[in-house]
Amino acid sequence: MDGDSKQRCGRASPHRKCPLRAEEETLAALVSEYAGTLYRVSFSVLRNAADAEDAVQEAFLRVLKHRDTLDEVRDRRVWLIRIVWNIVLDRKRRAKTRPETDDVAELARVLPAEGLSAEDRAAAAQHHAQVLACVETLPAKEREVLMLSAFEELSSVEIAQVLGITESSVRSRLFRARNLMAGLLGRVRQ
Amino acid sequence: MESSRDNSVGGGNGSVGFEESLRMIARLPAPEGLEERVIAGVRAGSGRRARILEFPAALRPGSNWMRSAAAAAIVFVVAGGGWGVYSRVQKLQAAKVITMPVRVAAPGGFSNAGAMRTPNTLNGPVVPIPVAVKPVQTGAGVPAVKKANRKVGTAMVGKSAVQPVAAK
Repeated sequence: MDGDSKQRCGRASPHRKCPLRAEEETLAALVSEYAGTLYRVSFSVLRNAADAEDAVQEAFLRVLKHRDTLDEVRDRRVWLIRIVWNIVLDRKRRAKTRPETDDVAELARVLPAEGLSAEDRAAAAQHHAQVLACVETLPAKEREVLMLSAFEELSSVEIAQVLGITESSVRSRLFRARNLMAGLLGRVRQ
Repeated sequence: MESSRDNSVGGGNGSVGFEESLRMIARLPAPEGLEERVIAGVRAGSGRRARILEFPAALRPGSNWMRSAAAAAIVFVVAGGGWGVYSRVQKLQAAKVITMPVRVAAPGGFSNAGAMRTPNTLNGPVVPIPVAVKPVQTGAGVPAVKKANRKVGTAMVGKSAVQPVAAK
């Protein structure tokens, strides 16, 4: 890339910073700061490591496309989460329904399992997959709020910004989602 | 931003096990080398999209001969196309069309079930029979003889036919 940018900034004077290089540095800073958060948001929806990574990459490509408006963004973290959220929802909509066995295998692979036997690990993955299957049956509005609320780094104000709704709506939807989930899981256990 | 970080799903009174699952997924660490891969992918993607193909120097559109050749080619294509269309079009022949009588919907909503109306047959022309003009004859002898002959003839014929032997 360095060779690439040198080629593109060939005519820039050595004293002035090449704008392309400055853009790349900004982008690299954004990636190193927020890639982890965006990956977690993506994975929580897509539940596949490769797909989540693709979504993060696409989000930064969109950032690069709209680099002119980057200075106008007040909260870059929320802005980026909003971008990746829209991408993953779009991908999820387009993708066919994944079988639950895929979720179980993926969760067993990625979830931390320190001090757990292989059987416990499989059982925990099964349980998590069951929970996620119940989450999938929730109405879209409640499901989205519930999934974003699991991120401790996001406040309800930020969730409202990501979803483009008011904070009170976030709270009421979260309340409804919790009640629905309690009912669904109770039925599953019975 | 610092207002409320109390959105954690486990913070409420009705905290249940599902919240722990969601939080665990939300806390998953990013895979190693994610940043490098993303940066490399973004650079490759942006480079691929922004590439502009170089136009061959020999075929630069600024040169005059190139312009003339392009104009000639356009004229050739347009003229050839026009001629092709003209040569394929055939002259229209006079159409032989028999017009069908217009169906008039019967009043009251009933249809005529496809029946065709035929005009009433007209009376044919009456040809006058030519009358033969009889020659006017004077004198009473001849007609009287003729009448007598006719009567006798008929009587003779009748007798000869019925009783030929008795006459002898």
